[in-house]
Formats: sequence, structure tokens, C-alpha cells
Amino acid sequence: MTILEEPIKETLHLRNYIDGEWLESEGELRSVINPATGKAIARVPISTEDEINAAVEAAQEAFPEWRSTPPLARVRCLFRLKELLEENFEELSRIQTMEHGKTIDESRGETRRGIENVEVAAGIPSLMMGGFLEDIALGIDEYLIRQPLGVFGIITPFNFPFMIGLWFAPYAVATGNCVVLKPSSEDPLCQTKIVELAEEAGIPPGVWNLVHGGRTVVSGMLDHPDIKGICFVGSTPVARDVIYKRCGETGKRVIAQAGAKNFALVMPDADLEATMAACMTSFYGNAGQRCLANANLVVVGEGLSEREHEAFYKKVVDMFVTVASRITVGYGLDETVQMGPLRDRAKKEMVIGYINKGIEEGAKLTLDGRDVKLVGGWPDACFVGPTVFEEVTLDMTIAQEEIFGPVACMMKAKSLDEGIEMIHANPFGNAASIFTGNGKWAREFQYRVECGNIGINIGIAAPMAFFPFSGMKDSFFGTLHGQGQEAIRFFTESKVVVQRWF
Amino acid sequence: MEKTTITASAIISFIEKLEDGSSAFYEEMAERFAENRETFLAFAKESKKNKTLVVRTYQETITDALEACFSFEGLDLGRHAIETTLAKETGYTEALEMAIGLEEKANEFYLDITERSQSLLATIPRAFKRVTKKRNGRRLKLQSLLDVAIDSP
Repeated sequence: MTILEEPIKETLHLRNYIDGEWLESEGELRSVINPATGKAIARVPISTEDEINAAVEAAQEAFPEWRSTPPLARVRCLFRLKELLEENFEELSRIQTMEHGKTIDESRGETRRGIENVEVAAGIPSLMMGGFLEDIALGIDEYLIRQPLGVFGIITPFNFPFMIGLWFAPYAVATGNCVVLKPSSEDPLCQTKIVELAEEAGIPPGVWNLVHGGRTVVSGMLDHPDIKGICFVGSTPVARDVIYKRCGETGKRVIAQAGAKNFALVMPDADLEATMAACMTSFYGNAGQRCLANANLVVVGEGLSEREHEAFYKKVVDMFVTVASRITVGYGLDETVQMGPLRDRAKKEMVIGYINKGIEEGAKLTLDGRDVKLVGGWPDACFVGPTVFEEVTLDMTIAQEEIFGPVACMMKAKSLDEGIEMIHANPFGNAASIFTGNGKWAREFQYRVECGNIGINIGIAAPMAFFPFSGMKDSFFGTLHGQGQEAIRFFTESKVVVQRWF
Repeated sequence: MEKTTITASAIISFIEKLEDGSSAFYEEMAERFAENRETFLAFAKESKKNKTLVVRTYQETITDALEACFSFEGLDLGRHAIETTLAKETGYTEALEMAIGLEEKANEFYLDITERSQSLLATIPRAFKRVTKKRNGRRLKLQSLLDVAIDSP
């Protein structure tokens, strides 16, 4: 068993970063637990209303000077930040594994994705340019300027502790805004480390602030008049009923990325070996704790007789279960492990609850993740193994609700049309995949499916940093998405000038 | 014996040790055998570059959306274990033979993982292939040095 060295050797005491100072919080402290080992690795404060207000005020005060800093000077800080992130790549990745539980390869992948956002945001001098047109009428010119707005609040989830803050913060800061970021109190270490590096990169005091905490901090952001917009990633009830609603009431811009229940359609001509490899990543990567994870696999019998469809279904399910049963589960710093634990015990209990519900509602439990065999002698408080249900129907709870764990539901559809109807019957619209060699089916799928992120022979349709992270229906609330050009539009206002000189 | 899963992370760690070990081996050769010191130092430097190439390619290419749960099924790392320590009493000819053996085994390893990593993003097997080519070139050079050493009086 090869365990990589842990970068955190003693329990860290986390502080807020406000106006360029690392400050002790007045709030209560909570432990951050490594879900694989059960050991406390940090203590994080649950900050007070005064502390979030102080951070917003500091950001508001820093804004005029930062906003008038030339864009090239602003992005030079991001170039330095990118280099620092690369220098600390391995340490940052191992911290993610320790605080979240994902495997080291998953963590490194996440680190890379996060850095890509810094790289794209560093192109702001070109990307933020407006436009100019002479002689809209003789002697009169018109032009467009993109201007920053002020202070933005960023609230990030537990499942990608490094990357998601970077979907937003680099673009906000590069365009001349200031931010106050609240990471998840379940795994806040990566965001803390990023801010340390941002400070080292020369981002001035007040521009990129960090406040740890929970509901009080979120409410403080939502209610503060100086916050112009909120970026949030989390569950649908909170995204829709708290964040989006309150932003609407207070006139704040909002990006609220929410939950999902994604479908993967396997067509009769799919390359099954490649499909299985993609599915393992999609269904079980990050232990299923991912808004782009596929949860329902639909074996489609387009053009097949009933008997042929049944045989194809059996073949796909048998292959899926065989490959899934070989996935090794354990501590993510163990290089022989392919899947880590869930983030904490409560999440494990929730997933177990769904597995029990599936059994209760009549689905057939073919691979039981409750009975997981771990690599290494770790406490199994947070581990659930790859799980597969067969004979799942759309009306079952496990087919409809987001489980956020390593549970795959096998279903059937007679045709592509039926498969698409199944996707549309679900209130979420985050992602969907089709596995096929047929361009016509793929185009039909891409054209019609009401989901924001589409995969064609791809299990996780994760957009690169220069594309928006899309989402529809109950998976997204807002107009513009994070990442790329849409983030730049979100963080700037368009000002149009018509000029004439006498 | 229980089969161990070989993840991409494990392969990269193995490569880091292999190239570090190779680099140290050739530095030792350069220290002991003056006649082809520059060649051995160049090989040592190249091993450091190989390590940088592979690790950088892996770190710049790996993405959580495409490689999770991947394993090098069926690969036996034990079979590819390579000796990189040069014993004190090893003579020049013997050291060259050992170096050639090292390159042959390294070549075999890189060919094996290139083949098995085809379903990963293409830049990764391509990096492995580049290292295979370099180490093969090294083997040929070492063979020519050995031929000269054997023919010399």
C-alpha cells in the first residue's frame, strides 16, 4: 500500500482574510475532518455578521483604486498566481484529498481545472474590450465600454473545494471588481491556501477577501447593499428559494448553480468498452458527489426487437456491474485506490437511506455498496462502495431525486424519443450524455435535450474554462453562467457612449 | 497474490523514481569513468528532463472529468523494477552492460505503458512514446561505447 505523504501534519487553525490581514474570528470553531481517516485536520470559524460586514466594507473601499488599475497590471497578479498555483500543485491536490476525500488523481484533475480559469481570466485585456464605430451619423461616433460593478459575493460548495471558487473570483478580480468568498465550512482549506497565494501574488488588500462560516455569512452577503451580485453553487432548494429569490428582491445579479439528476443513454451501436470506462468516471468519480455525474443509465433499444433489446440491456448491465465491482475504494492518498469516501458520515447515511428506499420501492440491488471492502484498514464511517440498481422505473425515488453518491440506476427505453422524454420528465437540466457511433442520433440528442451540458461519447461533459458552465431548469437560476465570456459579462456592465465634438 | 490496482498516479510515481534513479546512475558513471564523462552527464540531464516532461504532461492534461477510476489493468510493476545502483567495484565494461540492461528494461516499461494508456487523453501516451524514443537512442549509443571498449586493447 503506497500512501503519499500528507501535507497537513497538525491541526490547522483557520482565520479570515479581510483587507489584507489574517484575522481571528469571534465565531465558534468547528473541526474539519478527513473523511477517510476520521482525523481532525483543521478548525474553521463560523464567522459573525460583523465580520462579513467588515469584509464587504473593505472590499467596497478597495474597489475605486482596483477598478482604476490598468487591466494589464491586474492580470499580472493573475499570471503570478498561476505560477504559484503550479509550484504548489501537488500540495494543493493532496490537501483536497485530505479535506474532501477524493482520490489524488481526481484532486490533481480538479487543481488543473481551477488553474485553467486563472489562465483564461488573465486574458482580460483582450476579453474585456468593448467596441467602437465611427460615424453612426456623420461626425458622431458610438462606443461600448465594459465596466466593473463593485463587490461580489462568492459562496462555494463542498464537492470541489479548490476549483469552484476559481470559476468566479479570477474573472471578478481581473475585470476590476472586489470579492468576498465564503468556502464550505466542511472543506475550507484549499480556498484558504489560494488566498494565501493570491496575497503572495500581489493582489492588493481588500480585493480578494475570505470569510469562513455558514448561514450568517450567506445572509450577510445577501442583505448587504454594497454587494452587487452573488455567485453560488449548491443544492436546488437553497439556490432557488434562498439565493435566487433574495437576489431578485434586492436587485443583485445572480449565478446560482444547483442540483442535478443526469441521464446517460446507451444506444445499440455504442462502443461498449469505451462507454463503460466513461461511465465509471461519470457514475463513480468523486464518489458520485458531482453535479455532472450521471445517475441514470438508460439502455435504448432503438431499431431492436424486444428480445434483442432485452439481450442488449443484459449485456450492458453485466458489463457495467463487472467493471464497477472492480473499483478499489479507500483513502485517496493511496495510489492503488480509485474511489474515496463520501465527504462525511451524514452524507453516507443519506446515501444509505436512498439505497434502502430503492429496495423498498422494488428496484433490484445488483451491486451493494453498503458492503464495501476497503483498501487499507481505515474506519468505514464515510465509505459507500459502487452501487447498482436494476429494474428501476422513472417513478421511483432513486430515479428522480439527486442522491449525490455512488449509486447507478439501470433503466430501459424502447427508442431515442422515449429516452429523451425520460430526461425531460425530470425537473433538473444540468447534463446528459449519449453513447453512440451514429451522428444523426447524436445531433438529435444535442438538438432536443433540455440540459445545459451535453456529452456525446463523454461521461462527464465538463466545460473547459473558456466555455460557460451551463445548466437549465432546476439546475440553474440566473441568466449568465460561470467561467469564460459569460463570467466576464456577469461581472461587468455595458456602458454605451455617443460622442460628438464641435 | 492479491492483484494491486495501478492508477495513473502510481505510474507517474514509478516514473519519477525510475528517472531519478537513472539520473543518479549516470552521474555516478560520469564521476567514475572520465573517458565518456560528457555523454554520461548528458544522459543524467536527459533523465531529469524526461521526468519533467512526463510529470508536466500528466499534470497539465489530467482532468477529473476523464481519468477517474482509470487503471493500468494487468500491468505488473514488479516485472519492470530496474536496478540503478552502481556497485563500487564495477568496471567500465560491466557498467556499460548494466547501463544497456537498464535502458532495455526502461524501454520495455515505457512501451508497455504507452500501449495501456491509449484510452487516456492522447497527450499522455504521446509523452511516454517520446521518452521511449530517447531512451532507445541512449541504448544504441551505449552499445556503440561498449563495442569500442571491447575492441580496445
